[in-house]
Amino acid sequence: MESDTQQIALGLRQGDVTVLEALVEQYQYRLVRYLIYLLGRRDGVDDLVQETWLRVLERGGSYNGQSRFEPWLFRVARNIAVDAIRKRPMFSLDSNEDDGVRSAPASDKPSPFTLAVRTEDADRLAHSLQTLEPVYREVLVLRFQEDLTLQEISAIVGAPVSAVASRIYRGLATLRPQFQGETA
Amino acid sequence: MNTELHESFQRLIDESLAGAISAEKERFLREHLDTCAPCQEYLSASNRVIASLEGFSFEVNPTLNARVLASLRLRAQQLQAAQPGRRRWLLISLAAVVLTMGGSFVDLQFGRLIAAVFDIQRTQVQRGLLAFWIVPSLCALLLFPLLPLLSKAGTHREERIL
Repeated sequence: MESDTQQIALGLRQGDVTVLEALVEQYQYRLVRYLIYLLGRRDGVDDLVQETWLRVLERGGSYNGQSRFEPWLFRVARNIAVDAIRKRPMFSLDSNEDDGVRSAPASDKPSPFTLAVRTEDADRLAHSLQTLEPVYREVLVLRFQEDLTLQEISAIVGAPVSAVASRIYRGLATLRPQFQGETA
Repeated sequence: MNTELHESFQRLIDESLAGAISAEKERFLREHLDTCAPCQEYLSASNRVIASLEGFSFEVNPTLNARVLASLRLRAQQLQAAQPGRRRWLLISLAAVVLTMGGSFVDLQFGRLIAAVFDIQRTQVQRGLLAFWIVPSLCALLLFPLLPLLSKAGTHREERIL
């Protein structure tokens, strides 16, 4: 019996729209969330999501079904986002490894993280998340929300496993002070 | 316990959370955590950060799925129209075979007759048929079945830049 990933791979190879529809239903929220973490903004994410699924349709034959679908999907989305950033260089994924934090671009609009807050603890993190460098935010969502392994994240971001691990440590180190010095 | 020791264990906590720790080191860390309050607090704060990420809920535009699905269906139709099916390639190949054999048949059966009607030599008829019928048919016969492979090679090139 074929595994789920092999069925997805077969469907994508055949350009089966029914398979794609099921994938859109299953992964849409996670794709939106990943792109928001990556870009730190909400504007334009819908267009990138649409472009991502179109590329999945066009190049789905390159997914072999041997590994999980999510890392492959996020890699496609990341490439699309990086291409968009190159065209509109107001946002960058470049990391300044010396401090790990930089100011968010001045804007009157509330950040997507502020708008998405649903708990008190999340409220405490919202501002720090917005000002955290995208490369650190990205690995945090992939590791702790998507539950991906370091190897899978490494394949998505195109950085060595050791660099991915360092980014996770730095990301946690930036956010941790919000909860240190008090009883959980 | 000195600061350096705490820092080394806190590094292990980071590695554990990132999924970059060996089973042996993990066991070593757990033993330490049982007796070390500062490292427990470090772990607790880290876990709260991770748990807090669950406290964000992003709204997906309610029309996004419909928009994506509509664009996917349209693109799928365009791709299907642009890529001839296997059956079409088979028909093209079959036509090329028939044309090649037809050219040879015409030459064998009617070559002499055509030469007489147009007052030319038989070899000229053969060259004409060869140049304008048999060679193009053979080219079609050889090249058309290769086109799907060429298009597949193009796809592989795209995959590398995906």
